[in-house]
Amino acid sequence: MTVPSLTFSRLRRELFATPVDSVITLALLGFLLAVGTAFLRWVLFQAQWAVIQANTTLFAVGRYPIEQQWRLWLLTGLLAAASGLCWGLLRGRGTWPRNDQLAAGILIALAVIGSWALKLELPIQLRWWGITALLLMVRWAAGRWSQALPAPLLRLVPLVWPVLYLVGMVLISGGLGLMRVPPGEWGGLLLTLLEASFAILLCFPLGILLALGRRSELPLLRWGSVVYIEFIRGAPLITLLFLGQNILGFLLPGGLAPDRVWRAAWVLTFFAAAYVAEAVRSGLVALPPGQLEAARSLGLPMHQALIHVVLPQALRVALPATVGQFITLLQDTTLLSLIGLLDLLGTARTVMANPEFLGKNAEVYLVLAVLFWCCCAALGLGSRALETRLNPLATSKA
Amino acid sequence: MTSPTALPVMIEARGVEKWYPNGFQALRGVDLTVHQGEVVVIMGPSGSGKSTFIRTFNALEDFQKGSIVVDGMPLSNDVRNIDAIRREVGMVFQQFNLFPHLTVLENLTLAPTLVRQRPKREVEQQALELLERVGIHEQARKYPGQLSGGQQQRVAIARSLCMEPRIMLFDEPTSALDPEMVQEVLAVMQELARVGMTMVVVTHEVRFARQVASRVVLMAEGQVVEEAPPEQFFANPQHERSRQFLSQIN
Ligand SMILES: Nc1ncnc2c1ncn2[C@@H]1O[C@H](COP(=O)(O)OP(=O)(O)OP(=O)(O)O)[C@@H](O)[C@H]1O
Ligand SMILES: [Mg+2]
Repeated sequence: MTVPSLTFSRLRRELFATPVDSVITLALLGFLLAVGTAFLRWVLFQAQWAVIQANTTLFAVGRYPIEQQWRLWLLTGLLAAASGLCWGLLRGRGTWPRNDQLAAGILIALAVIGSWALKLELPIQLRWWGITALLLMVRWAAGRWSQALPAPLLRLVPLVWPVLYLVGMVLISGGLGLMRVPPGEWGGLLLTLLEASFAILLCFPLGILLALGRRSELPLLRWGSVVYIEFIRGAPLITLLFLGQNILGFLLPGGLAPDRVWRAAWVLTFFAAAYVAEAVRSGLVALPPGQLEAARSLGLPMHQALIHVVLPQALRVALPATVGQFITLLQDTTLLSLIGLLDLLGTARTVMANPEFLGKNAEVYLVLAVLFWCCCAALGLGSRALETRLNPLATSKA
Repeated sequence: MTSPTALPVMIEARGVEKWYPNGFQALRGVDLTVHQGEVVVIMGPSGSGKSTFIRTFNALEDFQKGSIVVDGMPLSNDVRNIDAIRREVGMVFQQFNLFPHLTVLENLTLAPTLVRQRPKREVEQQALELLERVGIHEQARKYPGQLSGGQQQRVAIARSLCMEPRIMLFDEPTSALDPEMVQEVLAVMQELARVGMTMVVVTHEVRFARQVASRVVLMAEGQVVEEAPPEQFFANPQHERSRQFLSQIN
């Protein structure tokens, strides 16, 4: 915490050093104030949020059958618990650094203000609060007691995510005794997050393999990777999406072709993999060749040298660029609305086309922007925490 | 040339020739025989192929002509053969090449646990003993970036020793060190020689060569020019090229 008077003197020094500086500062300040109040006035008094209130469920899950939605709530609860667990373990030591306090504050504010502003029904409001409370409580417990757990157990914690992903898939699509909900009925934020997370999870290992392939000594592997990466990077995603919808259905007879939703997910995956490969390659290039030589001269076979020496270092360097790609990927999912899928943007477009809500575009787009911002911010925060965590010499500063 | 000993031959290089991919010939028919327990010091001007030569011993560099037999195993392109040789041959680099993302202790235990599949507890015990031997027992839980150059190089030596190699290769182990740290590394190497490790050392440290070497080999332009015991090599070099080199480094 900085001392207030110090901040004040610094403000004066940097913003009001000369009369000209003062005028500029005041003018900018006035401008920002005017814009800010106009915006706030619109949000509070002019905007008509009925369009959001009436379609909350549609935005969240599309046409997912109402009587099956408890499965999604359960999944959200599990996800919150897992996030809280990993958040607490990443921090350890039971402390709440300033950024964590900020994040917790934002979560609580979202739960309180969001559910109030959207005038949600009481049961949904209660569930939202409950899930937020669950997340923060698990975060608190994990931070507090993680030190007491044995190290081998702690190392198993990341496995929570793949397991949860499989559980989530079953919960969403059904099977194992649950009623089937075909992909055509998924929509809204659910579909957006599903497509994005599927592509993110798969494009990462694929990208690593491509990056290694590009640096391989085997010509076939090397040129194959180069051609693939450059081809994908040279084509706009939207053309690939159209291509994927048409060609896959054309090549594979009837039932064999994956559903349109899955086709799009695979295209996203293969698209992002090329970019992730380039990010990973930058990490590989940055690594001194002596590292691989040292590992090999100790007798480590190639795959072990890669897994234990090369990749941990290269991926750490590549992490910021890779997460940048993930964020881009998340935003790119909006293109799915152009090929007729009802992702968040696609759902929004159907809502805006409804005569009942004509002319309410601004409200809808603002909510969309906030939702995307939240998802991207979460990704960015997670990556930064991971980065500090992975740097052995990090002077722990959140 | 060498005194014929009854001790087994650890490295036998015959007529080794190497071309780099750009067509440059770095080795022009090099011969060398190293017996068990010998310390062979390789000297020579920059670019004479010293690094290239000792890096062929553990297949970090390939070669096109000639033959190399290490500890009874002829070097070939077979991956399994190469991995087997690397397990028996330790190497210490000019730039240390410690793994910066692992602690000192993990640097030592990584290869023995993965490659030799020895139990972790046992390897850690041995690693701590080795660190004690090279005088950095207290730094075991630190990361390499937190150590001085001399300490890092001693960790690198300990890391190689942890694989229990039968031969140790050193490529200018003290060239990247500040002068005041050179001695601490040389002392470790001297101790290693005393307990009978077979060593091939590329270095410009004349004092080390005089005190520790069984033989000194002078390389120039990819060839061995002279090979002699240190007393003779430094006091009475036979070749003009050796005299020229010695006058340059003194
Ligand atoms: N990757 C490479 N490609 C082409 N030429 C190379 C390569 N590496 C080394 N050389 C050349 O091979 C020759 C021998 O190099 P080497 O590194 O073995 O010399 P050195 O005796 O170890 O020299 P120094 O004392 O500077 O370490 C040099 O002329 C060098 O320019
Ligand atoms: Mg060299």
